[in-house]
Amino acid sequence: MLAILLMSCGREPLVQTQSYVFGTLVDISIYGESDAKAHQAINHVLENFQQLHHQLHAWKPDSELSQLNQSFAVGNTPVKVTPELSKMLIEASELSRQSDGLFNPALGHLINAWGFQRDEFTPVEINDADIQKWVKAQPVMSDIVIKNEMVYSRNPAVKLDLGGYAKGYALDQAAKILRDQDIKNALVNIGGNIIAVGKHGDKPWRVGIHHPRLAKPMATLELLDGWAVGTSGDYQRYFELNGRRYCHILDPHAGYPAQGTQAVTVLIPPGKNAGVMSDVASKPIFISGENAKAEAAKKMNVAFYLIVSAQGKLTASEGMSKRLNWLIKNPDVKVLPD
Amino acid sequence: MKALFNHLKFSRILIGDWILFFAALLLVIFLFKTYWHVESATKLQIRQGDKIYSTLSLNQSRTLLIHGPLGDTKISIQNGQVRFVSSPCRNQYCVHQGWLRHSGQVAICLPNQISLELLGADKPFDSLNY
Amino acid sequence: MQINTTLDDHRVAKLAALAIGLHLLESIMPSPLPGVKPGIANIVTLFVLYRFDFATAAWVSLLRVFATSLLLGNFLSPTFALSLGGAIMSLGVLGLAQYLPRPYFGPVSLSILAAFAHMIGQLMLVRLWLIPHAGLAYLVPLFMAAALLFGLINGIVTSHLLAAYPKPAD
Repeated sequence: MLAILLMSCGREPLVQTQSYVFGTLVDISIYGESDAKAHQAINHVLENFQQLHHQLHAWKPDSELSQLNQSFAVGNTPVKVTPELSKMLIEASELSRQSDGLFNPALGHLINAWGFQRDEFTPVEINDADIQKWVKAQPVMSDIVIKNEMVYSRNPAVKLDLGGYAKGYALDQAAKILRDQDIKNALVNIGGNIIAVGKHGDKPWRVGIHHPRLAKPMATLELLDGWAVGTSGDYQRYFELNGRRYCHILDPHAGYPAQGTQAVTVLIPPGKNAGVMSDVASKPIFISGENAKAEAAKKMNVAFYLIVSAQGKLTASEGMSKRLNWLIKNPDVKVLPD
Repeated sequence: MKALFNHLKFSRILIGDWILFFAALLLVIFLFKTYWHVESATKLQIRQGDKIYSTLSLNQSRTLLIHGPLGDTKISIQNGQVRFVSSPCRNQYCVHQGWLRHSGQVAICLPNQISLELLGADKPFDSLNY
Repeated sequence: MQINTTLDDHRVAKLAALAIGLHLLESIMPSPLPGVKPGIANIVTLFVLYRFDFATAAWVSLLRVFATSLLLGNFLSPTFALSLGGAIMSLGVLGLAQYLPRPYFGPVSLSILAAFAHMIGQLMLVRLWLIPHAGLAYLVPLFMAAALLFGLINGIVTSHLLAAYPKPAD
């Protein structure tokens, strides 16, 4: 009784909410504000997410993105898009180029062929002919021409799916909205991608990094003001067929799910698009072969990364290794010098 | 109050009895604090959609049915652990997560919008990256 | 064991019969938690301790344990073992507690101490023999709280009974 009393007196000024928007779990914590102010700010953020979700939905036909995709499929007439979508497409194209096409949001048809464009998906019959058809058509971001918010594609095989970008974009938006609302300390988690604003009281925010095979965190790290963290894993969306795991991260060259990696976590320093980078930058590293991963990280300007190979071997960049607090006993981590 | 006092006088409790009684009472309170402290450090928080459905002790054997958009999800608590037993979702990731036992562990059923999180004083982080 | 007078012999026999009756009555009463029982038969044990002596009280207590288990058909079963274990522990404590200074410590103290000892004896048996893991640990405070409550009540009842039935002059 006394303990409960003491606990309620010493309750810290932390407001935490969890919501299902964006087709995923959104978890927002705000520290050091009144409940009313915190909830008001959270509602602003959630409204923005809901709006983005509708705008960027990849398989609901009435989203702005789907309408654009429909016009891509029928010809190359330029279509007027909102300034916001135009900016997103320019940024996504730039990142796709930077990743040598490994991050490729133009692969909507291929993703659909694998059955990953569904809220709930079942193992698909792998239709190799269909897959090869979309690989050969080579839909890439540079097929898209964007000029004065008018957009068209030179390749009808292009179908945009911003699944690997939108959550990160939403994180940046969330951080901006919260700062505009004069919230000094917050932690926003959209489906596993996290951005930090300020601190948790007198300590930095701390995040756990999920173990790709066990239902528990394997490490924690401190997320300072403006930093973001994101993971690409084969355990988030996948199906198993004949004892083999097919994850949602596709290798654009092979047309098949990337094998050989369980998870890649990237830690991104503060910047205008830290959220976007936390979402996008892990993908090229995930898809690249074992010996090309460090190079892929370098291309994406990622200095802090952690890789869990298909065999469960851990590799971390030196900077990342210093920041990780392992929760598993005696982790065998190969450290790559920066 | 006076009636109670008279009753206490009538109850023939001697001064030593009182001392012993309060000593015993302190012992019982101490036992509650030590044994039940462990319990309060291992709690399960179930969320249903945006709301906290319930915060429960893990020190019980219990099966719960929680209603979500797709139907009823069955959750089982026993021996300080919790798991999704069955779920109306297609992928069954939540069921495959198996037993959760350490504070900070989380299992989420996105389609049916139900999440389980083990809370404890020793939770080492604020949010989980996955 | 020495019984001085036939009159006392009768009295003790009657009291033992009463203890057995109370124990049987309690065994058919429903309990919210297995193992939590008022232990009203202990009132008789205490009463005998005050009116006669420790040896007689021990005799009444153990006779009750054996007789009720034979009557209920659980002789040598875990229930019997728990009952006997509890009785032996509480008698052990009573054997020491009877020397507490009487002006300050009455039946209430002895009753609470006996109830605690009874419960600790049973819990130890359960832990060591019946359920050899810590699963019951969180029930311990509940059991001990129940022991305190019933020990207090039984002690008060015993005080009143001792006042109501003064020692016959002989």
